[in-house]
Amino acid sequence: MSLTEDKLIQMYTTMVRIREFETKVEEFFAAGKIPGFVHLYIGEEAVATGTCAVLTDKDYITSTHRGHGHLIAKGGDLKRMMAELFGKKTGYCKGKGGSMHIADVDLGILGANGIVGGGGPIANGAALAAQYRGTDQVAVCFFGDGASNQGTTQEAMNLASAWKLPVVFVNENNGYGISCPTCKSMAVADIADRAAAYDMPGVVVDGNDVVAVYEAVAEAVDRARRGDGPSLIECKTYRWRGHFEGDACTYRDEAEVQSWMAKDPIKRLREKLLEQGILTEDKDREIRDAIARELEAAVAFAEESPLPAPEEVLEDVYA
Amino acid sequence: MPRVPIEITSPVEYLSILKEDGTLDKALEPEIPEDLLLRLYRTMVLGRLLDERMLQLQRQGRIGTFAPIKGQEAAQLGAVAALDPGDWVVPCFRETAAQLWRGTPMENILLYFGGYEEGGRIPDDQKTLPVAIPVASQLLHAVGLGWAARYRKTGEVAMTFFGDGATSEGDFHEALNCAAVFQTPTVFVCQNNQWAISVPLSRQTRSKTLAQKAVAYEMPGIRVDGNDVLAVYAAAREAVERARAGEGPTFLECVTYRLAMHTTADDPTKYRSEEEVALWAQKDPIPRFQKYLLEKGILTQEKVEENAAWAGEAIGKAVDRYEAMRGELGDPLEMFEHHFETLPPTLQEQREELKRTLEAERMESHDA
Repeated sequence: MSLTEDKLIQMYTTMVRIREFETKVEEFFAAGKIPGFVHLYIGEEAVATGTCAVLTDKDYITSTHRGHGHLIAKGGDLKRMMAELFGKKTGYCKGKGGSMHIADVDLGILGANGIVGGGGPIANGAALAAQYRGTDQVAVCFFGDGASNQGTTQEAMNLASAWKLPVVFVNENNGYGISCPTCKSMAVADIADRAAAYDMPGVVVDGNDVVAVYEAVAEAVDRARRGDGPSLIECKTYRWRGHFEGDACTYRDEAEVQSWMAKDPIKRLREKLLEQGILTEDKDREIRDAIARELEAAVAFAEESPLPAPEEVLEDVYA
Repeated sequence: MPRVPIEITSPVEYLSILKEDGTLDKALEPEIPEDLLLRLYRTMVLGRLLDERMLQLQRQGRIGTFAPIKGQEAAQLGAVAALDPGDWVVPCFRETAAQLWRGTPMENILLYFGGYEEGGRIPDDQKTLPVAIPVASQLLHAVGLGWAARYRKTGEVAMTFFGDGATSEGDFHEALNCAAVFQTPTVFVCQNNQWAISVPLSRQTRSKTLAQKAVAYEMPGIRVDGNDVLAVYAAAREAVERARAGEGPTFLECVTYRLAMHTTADDPTKYRSEEEVALWAQKDPIPRFQKYLLEKGILTQEKVEENAAWAGEAIGKAVDRYEAMRGELGDPLEMFEHHFETLPPTLQEQREELKRTLEAERMESHDA
């Protein structure tokens, strides 16, 4: 599969946008400007980017507690995202949902989700609707290694397979469910092996190689669109930051973190694109400057927006 | 990055020893002592006859809803026969024959399905848990029991039963994963009887086998002819030995068929054809095993008849004991017990109200 130069630049830009957004969140969270909890996506950018680059606005995704990258890759509005993180009225959930509830149904983003393993059944529902209506939409379910041990995930994969639903299960195996390494939470070496239990294709890809992710997902999405049912793609990756901001990470050593930082997905693509002449230092600077301006505007928007009024607290809870 | 095929290490095999026409694969025939073979036969027949009797009792209103085992005797008996009395059995709700093997008194089975909670009580010297109704919930209990056995180094094995429908439950996944991670001595016995109430296996899963679900957990999975008691026993014995040796859990899929209804509250003619049932009736586990024993000279026609008479009599006596016990059991007020240490006020009120109603009814019947 050959990716056009434009597509490669677009994917590179998305990865940088995610990285820079998360770096800003890290900064403002530490400064006490962002309430609640945030789980950063730094280091895993290639998974969301490579996956969403295959999809159209009409396709669906279900995200996780570590969802900022998925939302950005699917086209989420940085201003409304940042405002939501700041708890402001102009945010995606009117400032009342925070990081783990951001959704944009018009873009097919069916929501971040604080419930581990909560996305599978939702993705199935969206896929069932597409199948029933005869559209060619697909639903992508992002989930982590910890979620792969949840009963809901098995129920979702079984049903998707039994009903041949157009779903792509994209596993982001970052090695840890909070502090629990995968070797202590599952006896299989590869989560992709689990596809065998449902008679669906399962593949392992280098989750830090955006092109590999793109290719694997493209094949699975084609399959789903053709009506040939679901697939499982395991993307091996790593989160550079803690499980959440403030995690002391006493369960892993610095050498391990460093070894993964050396596999930085953005640096890898940047070098490759520079080498192939698709990207130049000037073009890179241009991309980064534009993103910096975009983020400045998003932060200013968030800071200047009002907080929701206390009397609005019970609004938007029930239809 | 090129695609690298992953080598899947957990094997999935199929085992059949005694074919439906009674032909034996001599090379695979397990060595089973004669008394064990006879006990297996006797319990299969007892289970079948008790099942038939229970269906009559239910239709007469003498017991409540229950789940018939007809056709699945070999799947459950072959499995439990591989255990020691000190091992744990964690049933679902279609294991009457396994319960009989383990020594659950017949009247307890009748009491349970008659609606008397006393029937669910585990006799002090036994390690067979009561019936579990929520589908797949009991698998986790078997993992816990296995884990405890491993932790305490007791050498016990925990065997649990469930149906094909349970494999779609999240609890199934969590149980098998935990058992594999912690290498608990647990044997998962799936009685794949083709139907989860009215949902056929083809709508339950796309997998060719249920045994292959073990692959997801790096656990050995084996599929056996569940109507072949020799194959079930051989596979179960291997799984039990593996568990006892500290080599972890096994998933055993017994391919069988429920010849009767899901429960007595179900009408299977609404969703499956008579031809299908007739086809499976030919694969009945009892006649082929009986033929095997007759040919081996372990059983004679005379003994077959003797055994049937013995079973009928034992069942008759158990029904009598059950009906005698019913008179003394079943105070409706007991429904408020065993849930709370101290009853919450709303339940206290309800209990008082029921007590008054019952007393008033008693007075009325006295007056009348």
